[in-house]
Amino acid sequence: MKYIKFLIFAVTGAMFVSCDTEEFLNPLPDSAIVTNSFFKSDEDVLAGIIGMYDAVQGVNENTESSSIRYNRGVQLEYLLTEHRSDNTRSKTLEGSRADFHRYIVEPDNVQSEDYYQSMYEIIFRANNVLEYVSNASASNIKKYSAEAKFLRGYAYFNLVRLYGAVPLVTRVVNSDEKELLFTRIEEAKIYEQIVADLQEGVTYLDNAHKSRASKAAAQGLLAKVYLTQPTRNYAGAKQLCEDIINSGKFSLESDFKDVFYNELNDEIIFAIQYLSGNPDESQGFSSEFTSYSRQGRQDGLNIVNPNLAEDFIANGGNRTAVSYAAFGEDAELSIPENAEVIKFLPDGYDISDTNLPTYGGGPSNAGNDWIILRYSDVLLMHAEAIMEGNTTNSIDAINSFMEVRVRAGFDPIADRPSVLTVNELLLERRVELAFENHRFFDLVRLGVAHDVLGAHATLKGYTSYNIRRLLLPIPSREINLSDGILTQNPQ
Amino acid sequence: MKYQFNFFKNTIKTVLCASILVVSVSCEDAFEFDLPEAGSIEDKTLPTANFGYIPNALDFKTVEFNNLSTESTKYLWDFGEGNTSTEKDPSYHFAAGEGTYPVTLTASDNNNASHTVTLDVEVVDKFVPIPVTIANGDFNSGTADWKFTEFTGGNVNPFNSSGDGSFTKYDGTDNGAKTKGAKWTKDTSVSAGANARYAYQAILVSPTLVDRIVKYKLEYEYAIKTPAEQAGVAEGGNRIFSTILDGHYTDGALAVASTPISTKTVSEAKGKTSHTKVTQTFTANASGEVAIMFSAETAVDVYIDNVKVYGIVED
Repeated sequence: MKYIKFLIFAVTGAMFVSCDTEEFLNPLPDSAIVTNSFFKSDEDVLAGIIGMYDAVQGVNENTESSSIRYNRGVQLEYLLTEHRSDNTRSKTLEGSRADFHRYIVEPDNVQSEDYYQSMYEIIFRANNVLEYVSNASASNIKKYSAEAKFLRGYAYFNLVRLYGAVPLVTRVVNSDEKELLFTRIEEAKIYEQIVADLQEGVTYLDNAHKSRASKAAAQGLLAKVYLTQPTRNYAGAKQLCEDIINSGKFSLESDFKDVFYNELNDEIIFAIQYLSGNPDESQGFSSEFTSYSRQGRQDGLNIVNPNLAEDFIANGGNRTAVSYAAFGEDAELSIPENAEVIKFLPDGYDISDTNLPTYGGGPSNAGNDWIILRYSDVLLMHAEAIMEGNTTNSIDAINSFMEVRVRAGFDPIADRPSVLTVNELLLERRVELAFENHRFFDLVRLGVAHDVLGAHATLKGYTSYNIRRLLLPIPSREINLSDGILTQNPQ
Repeated sequence: MKYQFNFFKNTIKTVLCASILVVSVSCEDAFEFDLPEAGSIEDKTLPTANFGYIPNALDFKTVEFNNLSTESTKYLWDFGEGNTSTEKDPSYHFAAGEGTYPVTLTASDNNNASHTVTLDVEVVDKFVPIPVTIANGDFNSGTADWKFTEFTGGNVNPFNSSGDGSFTKYDGTDNGAKTKGAKWTKDTSVSAGANARYAYQAILVSPTLVDRIVKYKLEYEYAIKTPAEQAGVAEGGNRIFSTILDGHYTDGALAVASTPISTKTVSEAKGKTSHTKVTQTFTANASGEVAIMFSAETAVDVYIDNVKVYGIVED
């Protein structure tokens, strides 16, 4: 009984602590780079590097279902990219995930904020590695630095394409350095940093890994940056693509399906790995892409628009049958209305019966890798770099273009064009790389985003579309924390 | 024992009261609501006006404006000559046509802080003619898409299908062998009367307007047999006629009797499957409805292949 005194004091004390306003009212901004650990040895630095990939990998929504931002990494990226292109949509119109395809994403959108935060989490971890990389073995320092900078460049490349000018943080800083954390830096400057970061990767990395940064991954990503940055560097991009092509280390899979179901195959240059059945290392997007017999948390996401199915039927070749599938009554239509993505089906799937598809024992803990860069993308970038935005009759450009098309089952002679137009390239990229989060960026990079997406929005009745919607709004949480420093995109 | 118990009971009460008091006070600062205006913060994120514009696809004089202003809710556009708008994304018709027009946008927020920008809007007539696709232009599908619906006193069959077409495929690459083509003979020449053959296809082009002349180019390949391959010369020479008709016709007889926009005659005899590419420039009519018609006057076999129509872009 006499312990009750202490119990009461303890409860009171706990109440004091629970109202600690430091944490509750001063949350850290997403771009904050606050150091809470440091690496003392080579093993520590390497653990920090693996930690960066963990940030890209993100947390499966089925493991931690909280709908507040939870660092989903690349697992939500299809919402910000494919859904905002003419490729796919959400089946339901409810919830914040259904905002992207209708161009009504607001600054408080949970998934957009999560992605923004996820990218800064990668940047935070990379800066942390760079801060302490000198404690690693002398022979590893340059390689580790290049690896951290590669991922920092990757994260900034995603941010600048989706949000425009963003705060540029390249070192460990304190949360009170608000000017640095919240001042938006013009896009050209962000691209300068990305190029510098990736060039280190090209110089100091080797091709030992596919699920970690490599020389080829840095070359390929840098080529894409050169094709995207405000002042294009076509010659640089062409050279980098040719370096990858001539390295002889990569080739197209003869069977398109093997690209997705034979992990880290010859075609993969950089992929994020997941482990099937392991809640901490699995991904949830495979299950979200199901709809007819739904395994995900929603009615179906990344549902294929009929307009994309039409392009597949005309230009997909043997890719069509392994890219999307229609079920139930939809399977009877010549152009399906609600086809589903089948590039990432979970272990144990069986979709042979279109009325009764099954998805194995644990579809929500899927292990399919997320492919960030693969060889056919490099081949098509090679053609794009030669074209420099124009129609071309370059043999080299058409050779690279045809290599991708021939794998898809087209005839190397009869189907070979004498000239290659930007629209043909865009169409080929659409069907080759569908559901791999390229389409939106392709449309913007090749200068037709407003034309194509404006027409798409009109056709679909997405009346909220306007040219401002090509940039996502800066998350309001960040703006609120910035004391008026961080500005919003035109709304 | 009793005294001790009471003391303990009071302790519990005291501590409970104290802790409740402390708890209720400890969060007060954090959750206190400010009175209106008291301690309000100055708005430091002020409007910035900015905009972009895109000419309307159908009318270059109509410009669609895209508001790219930030931190603002109200807009005032000034297009000059007293014309204004308060829409967020207005479109405006510059009736005077090509030229440079300063347009001013004032963006304001709800505190009436404002920012003004004036940008020059370039109105340029960048006309792009409607592209024309010829159906069955390579004759791979025989006579499909080349027939008149009816032909009073004549024949709707347009030509003889032939395997002696050009070596060039429709996309301009070399086929390495003959492709299909269209053929006329002595018996299907214009002078054959009711048996004469006319190939016909209606197309839609950008119309010529009062302030804009639109030109197109008809392109095709033809071949005429040499005297060594086949003897005979029609009156006036062996030749092919390519005609651009002024309008669409269902009855071939009316088409043949009409006054065409343009007619070209070709007559170089280089031999079977030795095709020559020719072009024929024509001016679109006011309706944009024109048609292609081919016929021949010949004593030997003549051939046509790879018919195309291009818009001519003038800078």
